Order: sequence, then C-alpha cells, then structure tokens
Amino acid sequence: MLYDVQFRRGPIAALFDLKGDRDTLARWSGKHIPPFPLSPNKFTASGGRWLFYVGPNHWILRADIEREEECERQLRPSEAPPQISIVRISDVFTPFAVTGPDAAAIMSIACPLDLHAAAFGDEDAAFTEIFGLKALVRRLPDGFEFAVEQSYGDMVAAYLARAVA
Amino acid sequence: MSGENRLPAGGRIDRSRKVSFQFNGRTYHGYEGDTLASALIANGVSVTARSFKYHRPRGIVGSGVEEPASLVELEGADASGNQPITTVRIRNGLRVRSVNCWPSPQFDLGAVNQLFASLIPAGFYYKTFKWPDWQLFEPTIRRAAGLASAPSAPPPHGHFETRNAHADVLIAGAGPAGLIAALAAGRAGARVFLADEGPEPGGSLLNRNLVIAGRPATDWVGEVSRELAAMDNVVHLQNATVWAYREHNLLIVNERAPAHETVLERNWQVRARQVICATGAIERPMVFINNDRPGAMLASAAQAYVNRYAALPGRRAVVFTNNDSAYSAAADMKAAGIDIAAIIDSRDCVPAGIGRQVPGIKILKGHVVTAAKGYRRVRSVTVSARNGGASQSIQCDLLAHSGGWNPAVHLFSQSRGTLRYDDAIAGFVPDAPAQSTHSAGAAAGLMALNEALASGARAGHQAASLAGFDADIVEIPDAHEEPYAIEPLWRVEAPGPRGKAFLDIQNDVTVDDIHLAMREGYATVEHVKRYTTGGMGIDQGKTGNINIIGAVAARKGARMQDIGTTTFRSPYTPVSFGAIAGLREGGVHLPYRHTPVTAWNQTNGAVMYEAGARWQRPGYFPCEGEGFQDTVNRECRAVRERVGVYDGSPLGTFELKGRDVGRFLDFIYTNVMSSLQVGNGRYGIMLSDDGLILDDGVAFRVGEYRWIVSTSTGNADAMHQHMERIAQVERPQWEVMITNVTSQWNNATVCGPRARAVVEALGTDIDLSPEAFAFMALRDGTVAGLPARVARVSFTGELSFEINVAPRHMRKLWDAVMEVGAPFGIEPVGSEANHVLRVEKGFLSLGHEVDGTADPHDLGMSWVMSRKKADFMGKRSVALRRAGGAARRELVGLLPVDPNTPIPEGAPLTPKGRREATEGLVTACVWSVANSRWVALALLKDGHSRQGETAYARLKDRVIPVTVTAPVFYDPSGELLRS
Repeated sequence: MLYDVQFRRGPIAALFDLKGDRDTLARWSGKHIPPFPLSPNKFTASGGRWLFYVGPNHWILRADIEREEECERQLRPSEAPPQISIVRISDVFTPFAVTGPDAAAIMSIACPLDLHAAAFGDEDAAFTEIFGLKALVRRLPDGFEFAVEQSYGDMVAAYLARAVA
Repeated sequence: MSGENRLPAGGRIDRSRKVSFQFNGRTYHGYEGDTLASALIANGVSVTARSFKYHRPRGIVGSGVEEPASLVELEGADASGNQPITTVRIRNGLRVRSVNCWPSPQFDLGAVNQLFASLIPAGFYYKTFKWPDWQLFEPTIRRAAGLASAPSAPPPHGHFETRNAHADVLIAGAGPAGLIAALAAGRAGARVFLADEGPEPGGSLLNRNLVIAGRPATDWVGEVSRELAAMDNVVHLQNATVWAYREHNLLIVNERAPAHETVLERNWQVRARQVICATGAIERPMVFINNDRPGAMLASAAQAYVNRYAALPGRRAVVFTNNDSAYSAAADMKAAGIDIAAIIDSRDCVPAGIGRQVPGIKILKGHVVTAAKGYRRVRSVTVSARNGGASQSIQCDLLAHSGGWNPAVHLFSQSRGTLRYDDAIAGFVPDAPAQSTHSAGAAAGLMALNEALASGARAGHQAASLAGFDADIVEIPDAHEEPYAIEPLWRVEAPGPRGKAFLDIQNDVTVDDIHLAMREGYATVEHVKRYTTGGMGIDQGKTGNINIIGAVAARKGARMQDIGTTTFRSPYTPVSFGAIAGLREGGVHLPYRHTPVTAWNQTNGAVMYEAGARWQRPGYFPCEGEGFQDTVNRECRAVRERVGVYDGSPLGTFELKGRDVGRFLDFIYTNVMSSLQVGNGRYGIMLSDDGLILDDGVAFRVGEYRWIVSTSTGNADAMHQHMERIAQVERPQWEVMITNVTSQWNNATVCGPRARAVVEALGTDIDLSPEAFAFMALRDGTVAGLPARVARVSFTGELSFEINVAPRHMRKLWDAVMEVGAPFGIEPVGSEANHVLRVEKGFLSLGHEVDGTADPHDLGMSWVMSRKKADFMGKRSVALRRAGGAARRELVGLLPVDPNTPIPEGAPLTPKGRREATEGLVTACVWSVANSRWVALALLKDGHSRQGETAYARLKDRVIPVTVTAPVFYDPSGELLRS
C-alpha cells in the first residue's frame, strides 16, 4: 500500500508582512485587509485576501499573486507611519499543497504540530516545522498547504518525494 | 531434526504455512507464527549461543525481549546487529547465525576462556594487562569483545520513516490492563494511541490458559481488539515498542514491519496528554550454581513455549520457585506431556490453592536447587533443604525456574517518576509520577488477572477524564486468579557444589563478581553496575538487575529499598538507527538551500559546496583541463582586469522600521548609523556583549524610519536572533520592527573595471555615474527591465554593483548579465576567487581574521569604534579587555620570503620559528594574481608595530620565513572601489 496523495509546489502568492500597532494598521489599511483575527494562529478571509495572525503584533496578508501590485498600491508600505511596518515578502515563501486521502499521514511525517481536526481547524494557521524547517501551515478542503522559505524549496520537494514513495 | 519436540496440535502457529530457515548453516523448519527460539526448541536444538566472556554454552532462557542468553545475527538481505533469539520471526529464506562463537555454538574455540576464568573476573581490565603498556593488549581485547557486526550496507529495498502523532491517552502495552484501559478511553471519545511490542495483542494472556467471562482469555482479547479496530479515534499498533519516555509526555514508539509496501520500520514521536504504562512484568531467574546451562529456562518461558508455540522445551522437568506463578507453568507443562519430576519450592509453606493446580506432582517445600549439572544441556539438578542437610540428585533435561516478577517500570522511571519497594511482591513498583502518568496491571505490581483488569479499567477512565472526556466506568469482566505470593530468595546459599551462579547472564556477571566489587569499595548499586557491567548488556538487565540489587542488599545486610535501583534509560529495547533517522538520509540528510541560479551553476560545471547557513554555493567554475588554482586565477584575473559576476543572494538582509531604528542601530553597531541620509549606507561592525566581533555588514537608510541591514551569510540567522533579543528583551520600549527579507531579495553582483559598462548595457533608469551614484549608496529603479534595488558595495575591492531583484526575476537577470556581459569578457566567479580577492584587499572574514578573540582595534579598524557615542554594545568590554595593556594579536600582512611558497591557513607563527608558544597564526594565504605571488593575512602579537620584520611560520617539517607588512596587497587607498 503506497500513499494516496499528491503534492504541488507553488505558485507564489502575494504576501505582505505586517507588524506594529494594530489600531494604526487597521486605520492605515482600512478595507484593504480582512478583519483582524481575534485569536493567535487563526486567519480571516474576505475579498480574496487572507489575514494570518502569526505573532504578537504580527500578521501576514495573503492574496493571489496577480493582485500583488494592487495590494502594494493600496497599502503603500513606503509611506506607512512609523508605528507600523508593511513589507512585501511574496518571494520569501514557497508554498506546497499536499492533498488526497493520505495527506494527513504525509503531514504527520513532515510536521510535529497536532493537525487533527479536533486541534487544528479550518480557520487555523500557524508557524511550525516542515521537515525541520520553519513553515506556515493551514488546512485545505482536501489536505494542507504549507509555505517554507523559498531557498529550501528544492529540499522540501525532494523530501516530499521520499515521503510519498 | 524437524519438529521432534513439536506438539501435534495447539499453539498460536499456522500449521498450514510451513517455513524453512537456516540457523548456523543448517536448515530447519517451523511454522508461520514461530519465533526463531520456538522453532529451534521444536527442533530440539539446545545450544544456541556462547556467553560473552567465558564462552559457556547457553540455550534459550526467556520467550520475549527479556531474553538474556542467546543473541543472533541475521544475514543476507535481513542483515542486522544483535537480535534476541526470542524476538526474530522466522520466514522462508531467513538465515541466522549465533554471535560470539566460532565455528559454532556447539563447538566454540573461545571456550578456552573458561580455563582462565579465574583471571578474568569482573573489572579485570582495570587491574591487568598494564605492563608494559595497556595499548599493546587493547586492540586484541577489543576484537575479542563485541558480538554481532553492524550491517555493511543499507537494506536493499524499502526505507525507514518517522511520524509525529498526538493523543489524549497513550497506552503502552496491550495485555489485559492495557486493552481494557484502551476500551475505557476509546469509548469516551478520547484519541487513544495503543502500542504493544508483541505481534498480536494479549500480552501474557497468550502464554497462559486463563479464563475471562467464562471463556478463554484469548477470546476476550479478540473481542476487545475488534471493538478498538472499529473506533476511528483509536490507533492500535502491534509490533510496536514504546522505547522512550521523555519530558512533557513525549513518547517514542518503534513500529516494526508496518503495513506499507516500502516502509521497513516506522518511528513515532507521540505527544500525549495522559499516559498509561500497562507494560506488564518480567520474570527473574533463581540464582544458583550453573543457572545458565542450556535447559535452564524461566518458568514462564517454558509455559509460553508449550501453550503458545506448541513446542516442548524438554521431556522431563524440574520446577524451582519461590513464588506461586510457577505452579500454573508446571500444570501447563504437564498437560503438554512434560514429565514434572518435582517442584522445588524454597518456601516452607505453599498456599493450598496453589498446590491444587498441580495434582500428582511432588512438591519439595523448603528446598532449593543448589546446582544444575550438565554442560551442553542440563542432565540433573542437585537439591537440598534450604537449611542444609543431605542433597539429592534429580534427573531432568529442563529446569524451569522462577525467582519472582519485576514490574516493568522502565518507562515510568524514564518519565522521572519515583519507585518504591513493595515487600508484598518483592519488587519495585511505581510511586509518585512526575508527569501525567498512570500505571496499571502487573506494571503497577498487581499480578493477578482480576487485579490487572480492574486497574486497567480505572486507569483508562481516569486518563480519559483528566484529558477532558466524560468517561463511563467500563464493565470489568469476570476473571479469577489466585493472588500472587512470594518469599524472595536472592540467591541460593546452601552449602554444596562450587561454581558460578549468574546474576547477569548476558554479561557473565556472577554473585562472586558482585562481592568482589563490593570488597573493592564499589558498594553502591550504580558503582556495582559499572564495575561489573551487570545490567549493561543489550537486555539492560531485564532479568538480572533486581537479583543484583538483592545480592548487594544481602551482602550488606540492608533493605532492598535502601539499595534502590540504577537509572533506567532509553531505549527500552534496541532501536535501529534507520528508524530514528527516518527519511533523513542521502540527499536530505543535511538541509540545503538553493538560489534561482543554482541550476545554472550546476549546468555550467560549478563545483558546489555549502558556504554558510546551508547555502549551496559555487566554489569555482573549472574549464576543461584546468586545475583548481588555474581556475581560481582565471576568475580573479577576470574581476581585476575585466568584469566578473557572482550570486550574492545568500547574504542576510533585514528591513527595520520604527521611530527608534536609528538609535537601535547606533546601539548594535560600533559606529554611528543614525546620521545616514536616505539612499546612503555605511559599513559597520557588531560586537557581542563581551566585546568580540559578531558580524559585519552594511546598513542602508531607505526612508525616514526604514532601513535595510545586511549581515554575513553564515551569521544571518544568528544576527536576526541577536537583533530580536535586543529589541524584545533589552530595549522593549523602543519602536523597532524587524523583518527578514533575505529571501525576498536575490542579487547578482557585477564587479570589475567594466562593471559600470555592463550594467549600463543591461539597460537601467538609474544614473550610474560616480557623481550621482557614489560608493555605499543605494538606488531603486529598473535594470534589464526588472524592478531592482542597486547598491554600490564591494567585497572584491573593485567597482561593484549589487543588483537586487525579487527571486522570481533572478534567473532572468542572471541570464541577461551573462549575455550582455559576454562582449566585455564577463566570467562567473565562485567563493574561492572571492576569498582571494578579499585577502588582497585585507577585508576581514568571519572565521578567518575574526576568530573569536580579535576586536576591531586588533584588526586595524579603530576608525569603526565611535568615540562620539556614549555607549554601544560591547564598548565597555573592549575597553576593559584592553585596559590591562597586555599584548594583543593584531592583523598584519605576510609576504613569504620565497614568493612561490604558500603557508597553510592556520599555521602558527613562533618566535624565530622555534618550537615554543605561538605569537600568532596565519588566517589566510592565497596566490595573488595582482601581485603574482603568495600573500597572507595573519594575527601577530604586536603586529602593528612589527611591519618590516621577519616572522616565522612553523610547520611540522619546516619553518617558513615571512616579511610582515600592512594587511593590504591591492589598491590600498580604495580608489578603484570608489570609482
């Protein structure tokens, strides 16, 4: 019995690292970002954008790559007030999708986080490890998506190929 | 021989599937479900091993992981290290051989050791083989020691795997206590992880003829197993040993032969909210003369072989015991057709109910076996009353003995729970847990079946409740077993025969060895263990440790609880390295990082290796027929005379934002950064708290409150942590936000006299003129049609443009640079050439000149140590260190007097080249194409004041004279890089 799973690398997404005072961020960004998640390691989504709450005063905004310039224009990182930091990081992460009936089994090889539905739900997103590398993980309808630092992309692809073999 | 000792029916073997295997070169037959031990017993094989030190003939003692006597090595595709004979499952084509014997266990030349037994007691190597030199004897002794060999090749097919899992309740052991606990927790809805080392659930129930709810106990096992299998919230693994219990309820499980085509073994790291140790108990032997002879076997093992494997370990048995459990073993052996000559019970009184289990069998109460007779097989035993008197000899070929039961507290103890001695069972039991741990059944000292079931049900309920589940009390099925009773007998001391009485059968440790250790002052149990190696074998003393403690207690006249146990350590049973490593082998053994140019480098023949922080970088680009030095020279010449390009992407890059970034940078750098204008940068050095150089790099100001900080490649992560620690811990009130953008920007650095021309040819909207774009400036714009950020920095000492683009554009940029640069004679440059070029310039490098002892003054960089700033990190430490006025090692250049003589990097410099304490070392030495000679950098005591002097590099075989110079060999004024 081999693993019934598929994995796909990329494409990159539009990503912006947001740090600083939440109220100032909210005022500056306005309706261009989804509502702030109420709890850490959760995300919200609206209008084709996702907002991940990843640390104290730290969020990541995600959109499809085609909307990167639009996000940049709307968020105006270089003009943002000093209390907040908005940095484009679209190329920092390489995303992978692991899908199929055995997706959870493959993720249990790669990831020490408890990804069982009882502990990690549809609105959860957290930094954890994938094959020992820092990664941001969330659920997909038929599996999981994680993003690792792009320079490790080839290694992660090689690891996944070994895991599913 | 084929099955001469096989019962015609019964057992949990599949008689429809006959199996053929080889043992020490001979072919035998067994059945699916047999272990190697049971199959050999069925084939009448007695001698299966030779002992570690004395090479005494040994047979099979146990029936599971506790086996101390017989280790084997698997051959061929199954090649393995040491395996207990009782845990190897036979299959067609299996080839196995005994370890530590030659040519065979039946006839072993190593038996000559027995002639010298008195010369090699425990610890002999501390006292003998000293003259003239221990090292003369050591290799021979080491070769003689050791057992099986490690396999010389990986398994021909399949791979290992590791997995992470989480559970509300992890249960170690699927015997009666573990199964009912799993039922309780599983029915409550908890996520249950149940792991058991055996091939099928049931534990000791598989070896005995017990009844649960009026039916055979194995029927109950099957029923429970089926219910657990139907629960989605239960993971139930067999052939899975929980081998480690770590902090925060992390347990590690080794699953052998998982149901997967290509996975050989699977290692699970399980984090559990609650843990139940239902690990059962392990029988210990009796201690008497020659208790190691083939045919002397644990009573429970004999019971297992007749009941579970339908194999007769003998035809005529004597049973020797100090507790009740051996009586049911005797009854089962008799029912299987073994003639029980007598039960020798060291106790004066035996409970009546126990005696009723063995009608018609002679019981000698208050008697002991003083010795076993026989060499390759037990022939008889010598028996006498415990308090002395005449002895008698009883003929037998099987001696089944039981010294009591040790609760398997290994995991509980690994969890740092404490133990206490329970007089009722003469064993150590769990006392206070240190983590969320429960013990149930025999592991908790509850030996009877009804007790095991009740405690397992309680533990399952409690664990599930504590994990937050509403658990009902599971109904406990009716089961009855006589309560367990024992009168401990730690060794037979009746006068009589002389010889060796073994405590640790695997490591050949005897009672006399324990007494010797104690006489020599090693009287605590930890010292006894290490001095005698008792309990240090592969079996980790599972059968012997408590007897050793008993022997120490008896000798000292102390209580068992005052002696205590040694520390239990993982693994509980041996685990293959492959299972621990999992997928982390071959190409992914170590992490590696690529840039978008890596594929181009590989295609173009670059020699790649790690150059800091897991980045794979090109060392050099050899052409056909070139040697290493030729290649490096060619690349250096390209940069010095025309133009080169290298991939500088791995450099650490961070964006800092906030009102306090200016003073933050002033604090972490030695020089002033807050005065930078937007668009400009400055080279700086960061010190640690104790004034040593942490890193160097360039900081650019890109906005009023925005900065870009670069670090070295290898230190990028460390510098990120350093900055975050200061921002979060030391200066939390400062408004500083740090974002790692190392992988948001890749760069192609074009360097050399023609660099400006190449960048212009690429097409850019940035004014590249020196007036508009000075050295250490930063400009945003487009290059080659791509959004870019260009910096004028230089690591080579030449005019350089560091073109930063997003990684998605990097390959396009690189290809454009190579194409456009071709007419200018561009060449790709690797790390080796970069190293040469920076040495020529005297630029410092972490790990070379920055060696963990040098401060900026030592490196001639006093200019970077601000005198204006009241404070910065490391300032005080530098001053304190230098306040004593002691001589310092200072950066200098060295020119070998013979220009064609290289000096190895790291070579010491000694006064006049004499063999004495060094006064410095060579930090780098390269062939300088600019100077057509070898040049070097060094740290030399009082180096700054010694220019023009001759110093000496002392090598093993010669001394190399060098002239001390300034540490720069090219463009000392920096005119070129500022052009």
